[in-house]
Amino acid sequence: MSDASIWLIRILFVAFLAAIPFMVDAYWLNMAILALIYSLVVYSITVLTGFTGLLSFGQAGFVGLGAYIYGVMSVKGVPPVAAAAWGIVLPTIVGFLLGLPAARLRGHYMAIGTLGFGVLVAQLLNNMVDVTRGPMGLLGIKSFGLDRVTWFYCVLALALVLLAALEYLDRRTFLGVVLKSVKYDEISASACGVGVFGVKLLAFSASAFLAGTCGVLLAAYMKFLTPDLFLSAESFRYLMMAVVGGVGSATGALVSTLILTGVPEALRAFGETNVRLLVYGLMVLFVLWFLPGGIGGLIDRLMAPRRKPRRTSASAPQAPKADTVPGRVS
Amino acid sequence: MTNPVLQLTGVSKRFGGVQALQGIDLAGKAGEVHGLIGPNGAGKSTLIGCITGVNRIDAGEIRLRGDRIEALPVHRRARMGVARTFQKIRLAQQLTVFENVATGLAARRFAKASGWWGVLAPLSSASISEPVEQALLATGIADLADEKVASLPYGKRHFVELARNLVAEPDVVLLDEPATGLTDDERERLSTLVRQMARRGTLVILVEHDLDLVGRLCDTVTVIEYGRRIFNGTPAEAQENEAVIRAYLGSAKLAKEA
Repeated sequence: MSDASIWLIRILFVAFLAAIPFMVDAYWLNMAILALIYSLVVYSITVLTGFTGLLSFGQAGFVGLGAYIYGVMSVKGVPPVAAAAWGIVLPTIVGFLLGLPAARLRGHYMAIGTLGFGVLVAQLLNNMVDVTRGPMGLLGIKSFGLDRVTWFYCVLALALVLLAALEYLDRRTFLGVVLKSVKYDEISASACGVGVFGVKLLAFSASAFLAGTCGVLLAAYMKFLTPDLFLSAESFRYLMMAVVGGVGSATGALVSTLILTGVPEALRAFGETNVRLLVYGLMVLFVLWFLPGGIGGLIDRLMAPRRKPRRTSASAPQAPKADTVPGRVS
Repeated sequence: MTNPVLQLTGVSKRFGGVQALQGIDLAGKAGEVHGLIGPNGAGKSTLIGCITGVNRIDAGEIRLRGDRIEALPVHRRARMGVARTFQKIRLAQQLTVFENVATGLAARRFAKASGWWGVLAPLSSASISEPVEQALLATGIADLADEKVASLPYGKRHFVELARNLVAEPDVVLLDEPATGLTDDERERLSTLVRQMARRGTLVILVEHDLDLVGRLCDTVTVIEYGRRIFNGTPAEAQENEAVIRAYLGSAKLAKEA
């Protein structure tokens, strides 16, 4: 596909998203806003698992932390902007601290370690009744005083800006290469001078930052929280969205979140029975079956740019030239 | 008399009940090609692991330009100028050749704390693309820059690893059997590269079973057997040495016939 048609598709995609408020009723607009907010936590998995290769089963913990920090502070009269700042900064710090032990773990062990964190947060939210009101739910959360359509455009803008930033980071930057070098081979990455532990800490903190932001937005938008929203099952729902999106593709993550939030709602046409969930589960299975690279992999394949030869390759001699080897002269 | 860039003194390493290395001494100067040979299981790869930091040594010391490095982690040694290739090639299969080689820049960039500035710069910016393209040209794989490593034939992958070492501008390069699986042409190109690196002042440590290559390239060889150094000298001297012949060479020719 040529550059021009790729840009055309991007513009159409954004235009389609921007037109949603004109096409749907309040119920679906609400779903779209929630999906866009949830895209942030799926991005957090893109950074952690997709770029850096670390598996977390505890993302709902960071979302819950961000949401409840914002919620509790705002109920206690802290202005929303300050509460939001705390709701983003504190989970980031917790992510960094959790990273200190977790980044030393590998693969499955790290997944179980983060699962423990998710369970811990869910239990705390449920049992610290004095602070969180536990299962009774947290009511009276103040918000930014935006109407629903404004909310939609704000979270859409945020989701798209983050999408662009992540795609840029992934495909164009040196940092993207460094993160992925850790994912593919820690030993060779460290032999190249990459501080693997530091990179993992960075990924953990960035991921907690995104998940915490997701939580703050969730609390500010819904104005009501219960601990059920942040159980470990939610972590797996986010992971499923990331996997269907093709872990590592931010675009896939956004599309997949929109679809996987919308489809279960649309399937309510089947009635409130288990048939709905059965159909949903089968759909996910089929996506993974036929698109092993997820939605992101499909997009990449369709939009693969026509191969342009690199500037130097035309004149590249096959044999090494003398004096082309860079090196310190001592 | 120049000081050695890399100096190992009494390096020992034990894995459980196996004494893998026992009191190894080794010294290499800038611009030298130093062969490390010995029978399979002698401890050559273990020694490379000790120098790069994958293996922690039990006794002895390792100095790089006079500074002790034996307690430092792998990435810190890489930043100080130790680069290596792997016996079993280790590259990011799903990344392009360009991206793999760019990874090698981490050693130089992160050697300074200010290296974190500019990590968000695009790969096409001159500070990244110029050294990478230069290294790709030097290794003769510039035409493969945008290919994924997974799609390359085995021999080419050696050169990707070599290019990744080149961009790091290391003081010491450890090549662990770099000629395995290379065609004759590729072997020639490898020889040229090794000589160029040495001429630029890099100490090249070459672990290789291709004795013809070792004989042609190396200024010095160290022979180890059962974790002990049994010889250190020129290839011609090694050829005459009883212990080396018995342990490893047999009837093979190491030095060029006079």
